[in-house]
Order: sequence, then structure tokens, then C-alpha cells
Amino acid sequence: MGKPLAALLAGAAIAMAPAHALAAERPWSEEVIGSHAPFDPGAADTAEKSQALVERGEALFKGKFVGKDGAGRPDATQAIIPTKRRRPALEAYQRLAGPDANSCADCHFDPVLGAGAPFSGSAFVSEGFESADFDTVDPQFSNQRNSIALQGVGLVELLAREMTAELHRQRKAALAEARETGEAVARPLSSKGVSFGAITARPDGIVDFAKLEGVDQDLVIRPLSHKGVIVSLRQFTVNALNAHHGIQAAERFGARWTGTDDFDGDGIGDEIGEGDVSALVAWLATREAPGRKTDLPDIWREAAAEGEKRFSEIGCAECHIPALPLEAAVFTDPGPLDTAGTLRQAEVDRPIQLDLEALSWVKALPRDDQGRILVPLFGDLKRHKVSDQRRERLGNELLAQRFVERDVFMTAELWGVGSTAPYGHRGDLTTLDEVIRAHAGEATEIRKRYEDLGEEDRQSIVAFLRSLEISQ
Amino acid sequence: MTGRMFTRTSFLAGAAFLALTPLSAKADGATLTPLPHFSEEASNAGIDHKYTGPWEFFVGGGAAVFDCSGDRKPDLFVAGGTTRAKLYRNLSSAGGALHFEEVRLDLPERLMEKVTGAYPIDIDNDGIKDLAVMRVGENLLLKGKGDCRFEEANRAWAFDGGRAWSTGFAATFEPDKAFPTLAFGNYVDRSAPGSPWGTCHDNMLYRPRGEGAPDYSDAFALSPGYCSLSMLFTDWNRSGKPALRISNDRQYYRGGEEQLWAVPPGRPPRPYRKADGWQHVKIWGMGIASTDLDGDGFPEYALTSMGDTKLQTLDKESEQEFPIYRDIAFDLGVTAHRPYAGDDSKPSTGWHAQFEDVNNDTLADLFIAKGNVEAMPDFASYDPDNLLVQEWDGTFTERGMEAGVALNRKGRGGGVVDLNMDGLPDILVVNREGPVSLFRNLGGGTKANPVPLGNWIGVELFQNGPNRDAIGAQLSVKIGNRTITKDLQVGGGHASGQIGFVHVGVGVAERAQIRVRWPDGDWSHPYRVFTNNFVRIERGQADAQYWYPE
Repeated sequence: MGKPLAALLAGAAIAMAPAHALAAERPWSEEVIGSHAPFDPGAADTAEKSQALVERGEALFKGKFVGKDGAGRPDATQAIIPTKRRRPALEAYQRLAGPDANSCADCHFDPVLGAGAPFSGSAFVSEGFESADFDTVDPQFSNQRNSIALQGVGLVELLAREMTAELHRQRKAALAEARETGEAVARPLSSKGVSFGAITARPDGIVDFAKLEGVDQDLVIRPLSHKGVIVSLRQFTVNALNAHHGIQAAERFGARWTGTDDFDGDGIGDEIGEGDVSALVAWLATREAPGRKTDLPDIWREAAAEGEKRFSEIGCAECHIPALPLEAAVFTDPGPLDTAGTLRQAEVDRPIQLDLEALSWVKALPRDDQGRILVPLFGDLKRHKVSDQRRERLGNELLAQRFVERDVFMTAELWGVGSTAPYGHRGDLTTLDEVIRAHAGEATEIRKRYEDLGEEDRQSIVAFLRSLEISQ
Repeated sequence: MTGRMFTRTSFLAGAAFLALTPLSAKADGATLTPLPHFSEEASNAGIDHKYTGPWEFFVGGGAAVFDCSGDRKPDLFVAGGTTRAKLYRNLSSAGGALHFEEVRLDLPERLMEKVTGAYPIDIDNDGIKDLAVMRVGENLLLKGKGDCRFEEANRAWAFDGGRAWSTGFAATFEPDKAFPTLAFGNYVDRSAPGSPWGTCHDNMLYRPRGEGAPDYSDAFALSPGYCSLSMLFTDWNRSGKPALRISNDRQYYRGGEEQLWAVPPGRPPRPYRKADGWQHVKIWGMGIASTDLDGDGFPEYALTSMGDTKLQTLDKESEQEFPIYRDIAFDLGVTAHRPYAGDDSKPSTGWHAQFEDVNNDTLADLFIAKGNVEAMPDFASYDPDNLLVQEWDGTFTERGMEAGVALNRKGRGGGVVDLNMDGLPDILVVNREGPVSLFRNLGGGTKANPVPLGNWIGVELFQNGPNRDAIGAQLSVKIGNRTITKDLQVGGGHASGQIGFVHVGVGVAERAQIRVRWPDGDWSHPYRVFTNNFVRIERGQADAQYWYPE
């Protein structure tokens, strides 16, 4: 670099300094983001860098975005595909169609930063109403969703990546055999002990998905959100920043895909860079997974132990599988499954690598006889129909979301459930007993077994579930 | 009509912008859209072929792009003029380097010579693509036999291939007909007195008879002919009754013009005239490309020529029955009238034209094969192919040089089509007296490391009965609040056609809903598909099927 240029850049550095640098210079600064942070593949190459990245992510997660950060989206809607409003927004902030929050922490704080929120922190997803604001909670316009605790999501995404890769291998093998033999090949699909039904591969390369269960036809496990429609923490972050804050990530709303760096028309271009999205992803991916209460009185400990047995005996653990095995816990960002609009691995020299195995709470997790980490999520990363005409409590939505029918949801991961009342995707069930009794559809028989238990056994299951907590 | 008026306003805004901003400045880097990189790899791919010959082969030089082997990957039938036409089987692996092998055609040598171009179409509804082959001399209908074998079917299908110099073709399925209606465009009648000046052959329309097997004994002369070099059945007014648009070469006609023929079912064709609103346009018409650029439901037409390329849009003031078009090529920056590279400032010569979204950003781009007719001194000698990439304001930016398609070759026909099934459209160019160009689309990457651009979908349609490939259907792909439409057509371009997966760039959409307006006008329900996949939609089926390449 020539000196004159270096001097010029040094001069410009003050004006372009990131917000944390500005904060050092002007501690009263209200800005959160600051200048555009490009993607840095080496952002987690050392422990110190990794820590700095995570700390930056926490600052972004907690920070209350302001206009200079790009908060607000006067010309754009909450839709995940860049969409212009058809008419001006009446309000800069609005609790239904959004922007509905100043900070990620507004709805992810209970009982600790990054966890969920009570009913008052619900968000609204608007599958059928993308081009304008809606100002009603009428379910024909939107679905109300309780905020989900994000503890352990790094491991959840890694499990989903491994499961997706395995399902894709099974599809590829079936197709190869069908092409080789000239005969249709029917094969079960499963990963980590979870069945996803079956496929039939035809010799001409077409796959019949008529018997597919609980996963999209592209066989991509999308582990995030109540519906299981978000593939990665990065996609979740980009979606949420726009929907809830009007902060538009350059990787989706920038000039490359919209023709302008200020798609939302708030006067701020490229509002958050790839590097800062990575910081948020890093912070999310490293959130300690929920565990179990360790200081229980004897009466609760004994009841919980009994309840865990009952939980399994009556079949709850068929979907709320206590633990899924994870081969490797190196979290790459970007991940392997993101598509255009979210930064992709193919677009960077190398992804950031976060070694989650180095984290003490990951080291403490048990391993199976193959050395795999047993992730105690109490889930199966599969979608199920959990409502029917006889019991519609969990089917109280009118709109399908991103091709997932209204009465179908991803199995809720129960780790930490003792800390995340209220329950249900809408957050309108106040007790564990209520939400268990709301199960229907595919879960009907198991729910009936629960209802057939005596009060003491039912209480023991509640005792067990309430022992699953988010560390504080 | 509100939508149309809105988009016209957008065009005007674009025009005002252009007036203030020289096109050259725009080409210098003001573009905002992703740039695809192309690698020319015909030789490495196993394709060694030229289009050669004297005057009769100054025009033509087309290719049919279609699957003849049954593996759904596009194979290539390439005209050779005085060189034998060649058939190449596609052996490319998904996402890999392009790889073809020549398939020896088991046809008499004489039939594969003097070929100017070809279009694929399943004429006899057996599920195997056939070929309409244009020649200097007898045209051919080749019946596909499977596994890239063909047999001549002129006699079997009562088709008189004539003796004309043919350079255009289009086909449509008319209501209640078991087989397609075929149109052959003819060029100069060399045997007429005074040839070549003012001696254009009539074009020919063949309507099928009978139900059991194709019978094309009913030939109708579309007279007058004005030395056609491209023709396309197009539902220009969305009436459900496609008309035949013909682009003609003013070099040889006298008193001619661009043509549009109404082809009403069961009635004789008739040309639109001035009284119908059809305006007199004279160009050296070489190729037609069509797509709905402004989303108003009515297609725009790019017409290649010597000098300016035209881009016609239906005039917003016109009523549905009046085909009154306005030229917006200058407004949108697609005149491409001079080479964008090199020192030659003489006018450019355009041939094959095709709209395709080469960077998958949802916006249709325009590829034009370019090349001097032979050694015409008043026209540019170095005349590289155009890759006009559409910007978000509706204008286009020339990016052929940066993209890597600016070779010193004389382009004629070709195709923009995904040859290695990676979702990125590649480019085939048949060159006169030069090797075929085969540009592999590497997205934002390199040969060693291709990088995808936007998301995409490949869509194959199927219906039972006649017209299995649903020629005349329209795809309507909804992503968020936007809808992208694609017409399934046989015709246009320059002596080159293709059938196969319809490629749709969908930008950042992870999911899309596809509706099909089938050729008879019936709309399908929405099909939900995940992007970055190839899907097959069978009429009447509840779900789209997914197909996976090897």
C-alpha cells in the first residue's frame, strides 16, 4: 500500500470505525453496528479472536438498534424475500408486522439472554401477507409465535447438517442403484435413529416422495423455528434482523440482489455486513445447551427420576428423543446448506470455524461408544402433525408457513423446558400439563397414555420436565 | 392495465437515466448485478465442428438442443452447411466440466449435408423428440427412435421437404389437432429470374391431417415471403391463439417488411396489415427472442439485425386486437449496434438471440450471437457475441468481455441452456468457418471452483395425449410477491431451437410456487417446489416430481 493511500485510509479510519471503536471514543454513542464489517474467514482462528467475535455478537444481540444503524424499513416489508411496501408504513414500529423490537434481546431474554420470552414477547409470521403491514391478530393474516430459547442451537444446527448429509447420501445411493439396475428402488430414509419415511428412486432419476415423513422434499432438515422452516442460524439472523428491526443484511438486501444498497429506503446503505452477521451467528452457536437442575430437593429428584421413566414408557421419547449423537462439533459459518441470499460457503475462501468441542459445556456432554457427542435435546428434528379435529389447540392457525401445513410443527426440543413457560407454539398454554394434553394428531395415542396415568405419575413427568433447565 | 402503465413509467425513468449517462459509462462498471464467468471449452468437451460453405451458408448455422438419449441432459445436433451435421451426446456430470461424444447418425450422408439448422419437437407424440431439419434443398423431418437414433420420416409423414433454401422454423399445436402445425421459413429463391434481389421464396405452413399418424400433405404457402431468417409462433395478445411472427432480411426483399400472420384454428392464415395496426418495419431480420420483460403479461420481442437490435413492446395505447409495437431498444440499452470491444466502430451483425437469466437474479438477460456475414466491408469484422445483463432498473449492460464470451468468431445460431445441470445456463454458439463455441457458466467462480449465483429452478412439463411437452404452455413462477413467466415455444432464435427443462432464475428465493397455464388455457393449481432443483410437472398430478442428474 502506498503511503499516501495508507495515510488517507488512516484518516478515514476514524469516520469508518466500527461502533465498538466509536464507543471507546464516544462512550455515550447510541449506535450498535457502526461501519460495514466484511466477512473474515480467520475471525475465529485463535481463542482470542474467537472470543472477540462472540463478544461482538453479544453486543449486537443486546444492542438497541437506532436509525443510524439502519433500524426501520419504511419502504420494505418483513418478508424474507426483499419486498417493497405497496404503500407507506403508517408507523415506524408496529408490534404485529414489525419492525417490532429494538433489540434481539427484547424477545430473547427469559430467563437469560438468548432464551425465550413470555407471551408478551410473541412474534408474528406473515406467510400470506407479505406486501403490506397487518394490524390485526386475526389468524387469517398471520401466525402468532412464542419466542424460542436459543440455548444449544449451535449443536442443533450441526445435528441437522449431519442428518441432511445422511439423507442426501441415502437418496444418492438409491438413485445410483436404480440407474444401475434399471429398476425402481424403494429405500427407507433415516438418520440418527429418526425415520423420515421412505423414497422410491426411479431409473430415470426421478424420486417419488409419496412416503416421505417429517422433512421437506429436498431432504434438508431445517431445524429452526416452531415450524422447522429455517435452515441455519445465519438464515435465521438475516431473516430476523429485517423482520424485527428493519436491519437489512447486505448479503440478502444489498445491491447484488436488489439493485440498491438501501432497499428499505431509510437512508442507510448495507446496514449490516457479513462479518457482523457472523458475529451474531458465533454468539448464537456458542450458547450453552440447557442442562438439568442439580440442586433439587430429594422429593423433586426422586419424582423427576420416576417421571423420566414414565416419559419414556408412555412413548413421549419416541419424538422427544433424549439425545441425538453428533459426529463432530466444529461449527462452520457459513454452513453447507445456505442458498443465495444468505452467505454461502462457496462464496468465501474458507468458512469461519468455531470449535464448539473446546467449550467446557460441550466437553461435559456424554459420548456414546463411538465417541459421538450425545446432544440431550429431547427432540427428533422432524415435523409431525400435532393437531386434529378432535383436539385443535395446537392447530390454532389458519395459514400454512413456507409449505408446512397449519397443523404440522417441528418437535419442540424439551431441553430447558423447565425454564421456558409458557408453552406451545403460540405461548398460550400456561402449564406443562396443558401442553401435553393439547397433543393430538400423530401424538394422540401417547397423549392418551399420559391422560390414563394416575395423578402421581403425571406429576412425576412434570417434575422431570421442570428439572430440564437453562443454566443461569 | 395499471401494471402496464406503471412499468412503462419505469421505462421512461430508465430512458431519462440513459440520456444523462452514456452507455459506455454504464459498461465501465456502474452495474450492480452479479457477473457470470464463462469458460470456452468446446475442444476439451469433445466438440470439433464448423459451419461451412459458400453463399447459401452465409446464413443459417443453427443447432437443436434437446435430449435424444433419454437421460434428460441436453444433447446437441449441430448444422454444418457443407460440412456434415453432427450429433453430440451429453456426457457431462452434474456441475462438472462439459463433456460430449459424437454419435454417428445412421442416415444417408447426403441428408446430413447442406443443413442450415434444426429444431427439436415431439411430432408423433411418442415421447421421443423428433427433429425438423432445415436445409438448402429438401427439408427433413427426422423421427426420433430413442438412444439418439433417427430415421427420415418425410415419406411416412407425407411431408414434402421442397427444394427451397430454408432458414427458419416454428411449430405450434392447434386446438383439436393430434400433431403440431409446422412452419418453415425460406430465404432467397435462387432459381427465380433476377435472383437474388427481390426473389424471396414463400414460407410454408403444414397443418396436420388425421389422427393415426402425422400427415403433412396439407401445405399452405404463406405468400408473400420476404426472405425469412427466423419465425416464432407467439401468443402476442394472450388470446390463446398464437400468431406467426416472421423476421425477414431486407437485404434481398423488395417491398417487404417484418411479418405477423394470424393463424386462426381451422381457417387459412392471413397476414396482419396496416389496417390491423401492424406497422411497416424493415430490418435485416436475423433472429427473434421473446419474453415478458415488464411483467405486463404481453411478450416483448428482440429482433436481431445488421446494426441496431430492435426491442419491441406492445404499445400501451393499443387495444388487444391491434399489434402496434413500439421500439424500446435504445431506452433499455440493447441496440448493441456496434462491437463493444476492439477498435472497429462499424455496425455489428446480430444473429441468434435468446433471453435467459444467466446469473439467476430473476432478471432476463439477452444473449446475441454476432458475426460478419462473410467479409462485408461496411460491417464490423471483429464482432463479439453480446451478453446483455439486465439491471434492476430494467436497462441492460453489456458484459460480454468481462464474462469471457468476446471471441473473434462469426457467430450464427446457438442456445443458452444448462448443459451440465448445475443451474447455471451455459452458452452454445455455432460459428461460421470457425469452431463451435461452448461456454461453460462458472457462476461467480473459476473453472477450478465454480460458484453459484442466484437460486434457480429447472421445470419440465408433461401432459398426456398430443403435445406431451406442452408447447404453448406458460409457466408462472411466484417468488414472494413477484411472478416470473416463461413461454414454452418451438421457434425463434436463428435456425436453432431447444426443448428440455425450462430454466428460471429465482434470486434469493428458497421456495417457489409454480402454476402452469396448459396449452388449452387451463390453469393448474400451484405446485410448491424448493429451488435449486429440477422438477417435472405432470398435468393433473398433485405434486411436482424432483429429478436428480448424475
